[in-house]
Amino acid sequence: MAKTTTFWFRFAVAAVALLCAGRSFAQSGQDIAVIVNPKNNVDNLSMAELVKIFRGERQYWRSNLPVLVLLRTSGSYEREVVLRNIFRMNESQYKQYWVSKIMRAEATSPPTELYSSGMTKEGVTSIPGSIGCITASDVRPGVKVLRINGHLPGEPGYPLH
Amino acid sequence: MTTARHISFLTALLLATVIVRAQTTTTQAEQPELVKALLTRIDKLEQRVAELEAGNHTASTARPQDGRQQDTQIPKAEVVEESLSTHMHDEHPNGRVAEPHFPSMQLHGFADVDFSATDEPGSFSGFNLGQFVLHVASPLSKKVAYFGELSFTAQPTSYTADVERSIIRYDYNDHFKLSFGRYHTPISYWNTASHLWLWLQTTISRPEIVRFSGRFMPVHCLGMLAEGNIPSRSLGLGYEVGLGNGRAGTISRAGDTGDINSNRAWVARIFARPTAWRDFQIGGAVYRDKITPVPALTGSPTFGEWISSAQIAWTHETPEFLSEFANVHHRDNLTGLVYNSQAYYVQLAYRLPWEARKWKPYYRFEYTHVPPTEPLFSTTTFEVTDLVGSTAGVRFDISDFAAFKWEYRHTKHRPTDPPVNGVFVQTSFTF
Repeated sequence: MAKTTTFWFRFAVAAVALLCAGRSFAQSGQDIAVIVNPKNNVDNLSMAELVKIFRGERQYWRSNLPVLVLLRTSGSYEREVVLRNIFRMNESQYKQYWVSKIMRAEATSPPTELYSSGMTKEGVTSIPGSIGCITASDVRPGVKVLRINGHLPGEPGYPLH
Repeated sequence: MTTARHISFLTALLLATVIVRAQTTTTQAEQPELVKALLTRIDKLEQRVAELEAGNHTASTARPQDGRQQDTQIPKAEVVEESLSTHMHDEHPNGRVAEPHFPSMQLHGFADVDFSATDEPGSFSGFNLGQFVLHVASPLSKKVAYFGELSFTAQPTSYTADVERSIIRYDYNDHFKLSFGRYHTPISYWNTASHLWLWLQTTISRPEIVRFSGRFMPVHCLGMLAEGNIPSRSLGLGYEVGLGNGRAGTISRAGDTGDINSNRAWVARIFARPTAWRDFQIGGAVYRDKITPVPALTGSPTFGEWISSAQIAWTHETPEFLSEFANVHHRDNLTGLVYNSQAYYVQLAYRLPWEARKWKPYYRFEYTHVPPTEPLFSTTTFEVTDLVGSTAGVRFDISDFAAFKWEYRHTKHRPTDPPVNGVFVQTSFTF
């Protein structure tokens, strides 16, 4: 009886692990779309501009509207891509970066962290100055997808994946 | 019988402990994967809800695996604009979660515990409690924010509390931000980048040039400060221009209760953070003030002060390179004689790639020269002495927010003074 229970427990753990691994594998390599509110008149950003915005070095859009960066919580594919390609930091470095930035009075808070793509989309739709990143296949009407270095997600040369 | 029962009970207890421990270990190991799986599940459910809401039940739920497939699904900017009118009327309760609230205070703290032992005659080895610093940041509206900082320093009979910084900042845009209050004088890179926050700096001690309560350069200023970016594309130019009370009668302090004379001090700094070189910064600053020392020197002279400085910093950590130079020019307004004192430091560190990048060895050389006839820095009250010093050490990051540092220092002040060797240990952290 105990042997059977142990077997099923191990089987369940292995199944969950395989499911997660499979899911991560399915997501890995997908392009991440940078989305803004449709009222934002920006259509294209260079990678350097995107880095400045996410790192809090540029805090206002050209229309003097404050930028609000929305970022997925730790453990998501979108955050992994953003940290690797935009911040070029790991989780520890990212946390330390924002503590020091707030200490230096260069920012009042780190990017707002959200638990899902849906929350990111809704945040971008309802806050005019916001900018966020979601998996390209999750993009729905109500947001504007920015070109990065002149490329949309899915096009050759798109840098965020 | 009783013994057998005790043995059975102990065996059961032991087994239970082992099982609980095994389960805890399994849970801890699986936690990141579980979070990942849950987040993915939320995304999948949201996607499904969106599809159902759009009445697109027959749409494929499979995610695209290649770029071409993705491209067909992404709405172009024009398409989004067209469909916006139908979607903008939707309520977005979750969007409110992302909205900033005002005021929303963030509190951070810094503290450190130190041990020191030197061969300086009359000194004692032992532990000491470093500074306890509380930092407050609070956005008051989309374009107004407050930053405050309070320090507590151990003294022989009590603790002294000091307002290190208290500023309110109004942002117009990235090119113009205006602050009022007590700020860290932007004449030195170290002074604004690390200030009192020892956990942030690689080493245990600050360089002498910007030593806390030091006299060589003013660390704080009370007044106003304008700062911002200068449009310069990839050059990343920025500026800071300040106007304030300048040095108080006690020249290591800012004139918090009012200026000591009717002459305002001003500071201007320009710097570049080139886009191509991430974490690199180069800059220069000038500072102008009139010093009225209290207690007055013989003949009650005042001094015109010009400080010019240059900074270069690359905080990439592989390697980390910091260097600053400053020239302090004093003009005795009574005699018209001028004096120039110089100081600089060069610091090199490297974050080692092994053991989760926890180790960072470092070395710093520093130098200060004050002319023997300098009327202000050569007095006992306002003394700044020559210095030739080397600091070598290693930093070990215990966690993301705590570090251990071991440091050896060899310093020599005046030519007649013997060199001093010291060993220092510190644990510093933020919370």
